[in-house]
Amino acid sequence: MARSFYPLEKFAPHPQHVSLLPFQFTRLNGEELLVNEAGEFLFAPDGTVRALAEGRVGATSELYKDLKAKHILYDDTSSPLLDVLATKIRTKCDHINGGTKLHIFVVTLRCEHSCHYCQVSRQTATKGEFDMSHETADRAISLMFDSPSPHVTLELQGGEPLLAFDMIQYIIARAKEQAAIRDKGLSIVVTTNLACATDEMLGYLRDEQVKVSTSLDGPAFLHNTNRPRPGNDSYERAIDGIERARAIVGYNNVAALMTTTSASLDHVEAIIDEYVRRDFHAIFLRPISPYGFAIKTKGRTGYEMERFLEFYKQGLAHILNINRSGYRLAEVYSQILLQKILTPNGTGYVDLQSPAGEAWNVLVYNYNGDVFASDESRMLAEMQDWTFRLGNVHKDSRRSLFTSEAALSMFEASCNQSLAGCSDCAFQSYCGADPIYHHATQGDMYGHRPTSGFCTRNMAVIKHLFSFIREDDPETMGIFWSWLTNSPLPAKRAVCA
Amino acid sequence: MVDTAQSEAPSGVLAVVRVNHDLVSVEALLKTCYWFSRDFVCGVSHSEPGQSTVELKPKPTCLTSPQDAKEQFIAQAMDFALRERITAKTSDVRDLLLAKAFSESGVLEETPQGVFGDMVEEENPSGMFKILSNG
Repeated sequence: MARSFYPLEKFAPHPQHVSLLPFQFTRLNGEELLVNEAGEFLFAPDGTVRALAEGRVGATSELYKDLKAKHILYDDTSSPLLDVLATKIRTKCDHINGGTKLHIFVVTLRCEHSCHYCQVSRQTATKGEFDMSHETADRAISLMFDSPSPHVTLELQGGEPLLAFDMIQYIIARAKEQAAIRDKGLSIVVTTNLACATDEMLGYLRDEQVKVSTSLDGPAFLHNTNRPRPGNDSYERAIDGIERARAIVGYNNVAALMTTTSASLDHVEAIIDEYVRRDFHAIFLRPISPYGFAIKTKGRTGYEMERFLEFYKQGLAHILNINRSGYRLAEVYSQILLQKILTPNGTGYVDLQSPAGEAWNVLVYNYNGDVFASDESRMLAEMQDWTFRLGNVHKDSRRSLFTSEAALSMFEASCNQSLAGCSDCAFQSYCGADPIYHHATQGDMYGHRPTSGFCTRNMAVIKHLFSFIREDDPETMGIFWSWLTNSPLPAKRAVCA
Repeated sequence: MVDTAQSEAPSGVLAVVRVNHDLVSVEALLKTCYWFSRDFVCGVSHSEPGQSTVELKPKPTCLTSPQDAKEQFIAQAMDFALRERITAKTSDVRDLLLAKAFSESGVLEETPQGVFGDMVEEENPSGMFKILSNG
């Protein structure tokens, strides 16, 4: 039987009108990396961007098809896909939607630790005047639920919040009551060093479905160096607390964070091995925040960003090897960036958002009712820098907080799309603006990117991750995707003899 | 763009670069200087009409050789010039895309200024997005 086909003119003609879509580019290892407005990327041969600018990319070439698929250009047949690209941009920026989601309550400044880098101005454990009052808690809860977000997260921290356990109980009860009245979703987390956690406290947290976030800086010698306390037993108490919390609150309801001090830099593999030994499946290799006591004690805790980057790269290599051996361990900083690079979604991680997540996505209510744009801005206030104090719960509404001088001046510097050095950057859609970091480190919310530690770190980490993506090793990419999809590691492929 | 030999550089200056503004605009040149300001003090002067001269004075932490400094400066300046050309061709559609992206999310309180009509959209007013010409 003869087969007939439509004649050639029935098929789409060669495009007559080819137009470029907005994109940024950079050069990586002899190639050009083109990134569109939604963060989708394409590695292309050197000279591609110039050819695009001069209209010299042939419509029948494979490169043309790739550029079209990645929304770098469009023609007669793909104009409707502009709507798709707009949807992708909106999806990537979903963090803007809904208003402030994370609300941090500093229930007390009291703490029995005296960590060199501590991000709060700790007070001795007996000074009750540094606890949040019921009136302040009530006002802060009301402001929290004034956020348009249909679901909010309440994080209780300190100092050491368990030292003010009665206040924790009060806040949780009131917040749940208000959530029901206002028909809002509510998640609750307690950030604690667990040193003072009793089984009764943990039982209460279990009953109230409260998650626990704790600190683990590495093996005993490092953790105890970083976190001095009477008895020099912070590590032993943390491990005991983690085990009891897992048993009582629930195994998956306990997470740990580490802080990288100068003492940590030579021990990245030991730190990671400690997380594996304690059966954690995520570790966040994050640099110390340049605020609070970390500035006062810079000699003991500070370091150059280049040293942190060596720490990060060595750590990531070790983590990948651990994953290759079959133990799933995600590195959270890489995971956040990979989510932005490889998936349509943004993340809730405040430091890497544009507009910056401070205030938009997080508010901090200090024990005395002062409201800050982030935990870092509260640390600055403890150093007598009140730049980012938006107001006080006893005299401000959500509207007045967000239209305060402090908020408006910060918002001006919150979009990396309009910042010098960022506006042309290929990594713009993966990165953030972080005006508070730049104010703290450079005395200028806009910041000077060529000398910014934030820019140095993110540029280096993103390029490092792109080197893995370009290499496209199936095993490494399988590990990355298991982190992104929260699924098991890919099965090892059989090797034929 | 023409670079001069190191021997012509004044004292304390690692390299001198002449920039023809037919190839690289003043804006692209200043963006290049911005990124070089980590390692260099960039002295920019208008040497003659349509041309600027940049003197790169190294900061104490600078480890770049004169030849590398000139090559990197020229390469970056040409890239910024290229970015300008791309931006000129795409800024209108970028405005359109962002308006489309955020108008439906409820983020915008006011109608964006400008004309945001999309030919395809106007032919299909029942489509997914509703931004038509506002002129």
